Amino acid sequence: MIKQTLPNTKPIMCKIVDKEEECEDTYTFLLEVPVEVKSAKPGQFIMLWVPGVDEFPIGIAGFENNILEIGIAKMGEGTEALLKKEIGDYLGIRGFYGKPFKTPKKVKVNHLLIGGGFGMTPLKLLTTNLIHQEEKQEIHVFEGARNKSRLMYLKWFQHLHDEGKLIFHACTDDGSYGYKGFPTVDLEKFLQEVEGPSIFYVAGPERMMKAIFDIGKKYDKVIDMQMSLADRYMRCGFGVCSYCAVDPTGWRICVDGPIFNTKQLEQITDFGVYKRLETGEKERI
Amino acid sequence: MNLVIKRAKVSKTFQVAIICLLMSIETFIGSIEIRNPLMLASGVLGTTYSTLQRAYKAGLGAVITKSIGPRSRSGNPNPSVFALHEIRSLINSVGLANPGYQTFRQDIEQLVKSETPTVVSIFGENQTEFSEVLDGLKDLNILGFELNLSCPNTEKGGSQIGTDTEAVYSIVKALKSKTNLPLWVKLTPNVSDIIEIADAAVKGGCDAIVAINTLKAMVIDIQTKQPILGFKRGGLSGSAIKPIGIRYIYDLYENFREKIPLIGVGGIYKGEDVVEYLLAGATAVEIGSAIGVAYPENIIRTITMKIKKYMKEHDYSSIGEITGGAHR
Repeated sequence: MIKQTLPNTKPIMCKIVDKEEECEDTYTFLLEVPVEVKSAKPGQFIMLWVPGVDEFPIGIAGFENNILEIGIAKMGEGTEALLKKEIGDYLGIRGFYGKPFKTPKKVKVNHLLIGGGFGMTPLKLLTTNLIHQEEKQEIHVFEGARNKSRLMYLKWFQHLHDEGKLIFHACTDDGSYGYKGFPTVDLEKFLQEVEGPSIFYVAGPERMMKAIFDIGKKYDKVIDMQMSLADRYMRCGFGVCSYCAVDPTGWRICVDGPIFNTKQLEQITDFGVYKRLETGEKERI
Repeated sequence: MNLVIKRAKVSKTFQVAIICLLMSIETFIGSIEIRNPLMLASGVLGTTYSTLQRAYKAGLGAVITKSIGPRSRSGNPNPSVFALHEIRSLINSVGLANPGYQTFRQDIEQLVKSETPTVVSIFGENQTEFSEVLDGLKDLNILGFELNLSCPNTEKGGSQIGTDTEAVYSIVKALKSKTNLPLWVKLTPNVSDIIEIADAAVKGGCDAIVAINTLKAMVIDIQTKQPILGFKRGGLSGSAIKPIGIRYIYDLYENFREKIPLIGVGGIYKGEDVVEYLLAGATAVEIGSAIGVAYPENIIRTITMKIKKYMKEHDYSSIGEITGGAHR
């Protein structure tokens, strides 16, 4: 077993070994990490450097045999330049940063993974880990998108669903696949019927997460909600700069998060309301 | 007190721990008293009131905010901060990203409300901008201002001003006439003669000299042949610059002695590093990289205990007694 973690240092250059279109405007990149390292944990992130263009935090969708899987959607200048990169090109990574999702051991719970868009990347790695856990527990994945062509990892989740390894609840705004409507509505219907304790693992737009948080609070059977605030602006990724810090606790999303649990989220008054810009100013979410 | 503890039937280690806990390490920077000589360096955890409050609660003597200018500023593109593992250092080119003094005022008010001893770092491209920021914040109940005359990560202002003796003198003098609050001047090491610049600041009327800011630095990726920082050039902090900071504080102390308090910054990770700066001539220190990288709560406790242990071993009863010890 390899014990080493990646050192916190300048970007480590990784070769792109595969690039595939995942869904509309979104690509999966596989990067070869040149040093043998311990696996990434679900919810952790990397700072991805597109040489000469930009660097930004990105979720980890998979890590096996030193191959790192990330999902990239066109969002700005940095991601646009990144999508032009081809197999054989190099990208820099720093990480793996942050605290991961925590799954309870030896307690029978329903694992409810809820996400949309980019948020599906850490949830993919979490799914991989959960289905390999020895204790059989129910896994439900709720994914929301505008339409079928924007559902990330659709084939992958649907395949696991068909194999009986999890239950996939797809939701689209236009009804082109799965439930027609927001995942929040589908989730609440599910919660009314499900038995036993449940834990939420959520990643996606913060407004959506706040709505899910408010739903979860209404049900005692939801024993914990873990949410990823990784899509906030970050500079350093390892705690120095504080541009990602939340009020009033002073927690840095990159080090004290990005995964926060129910108790922590209740203390973060910014959650779902304000985020910080690169100037340090606050902007309403 | 020592006698009472010695008489109690407890282990020697426990005795030392208790004595250290009871030892006081307040220090004076001019007329300001702080509970210990450790302060948060500007630029680290300093963008929001909540992280500054957290750093103070973790046990620091005072905190210095991120440098605040007249208007909001996005700074330089990413990558703008990363670590250099092999030399336990950081390189940055944040470039004075800040929300502007009018917005940041609310954060300072929160700090004042929570009784966090706060020094506000300010910058400007010229005397008029420095004055505008100072005027906009001087009514607040803060410890004082630190003038950032030394940021290496901008096209204008910062270290350009900090290398010009006349500019340093006139800015300090002009600002001093506007406020009774202490003015500290943070110097750049990127000059041929730091004494000359410090002398200009002292003549202008500053209340303490802070040395040093980051050193000009750069990192290039040899695979893609690209400078890694978005701004290409940056400033180095951390362990690699500690011997340089020590040298500057030593030189400054030799020149000024008790005429002006010195605050040492650069590469402090351990209690021993603090002691080294004090012996070189500092009356207090600022810690940046080390606090940001670790959990502030853990590192500050460890450093404080080490300083106290050193004081006990070397029979010092106050921080002031250590200051300048290497010059005797």
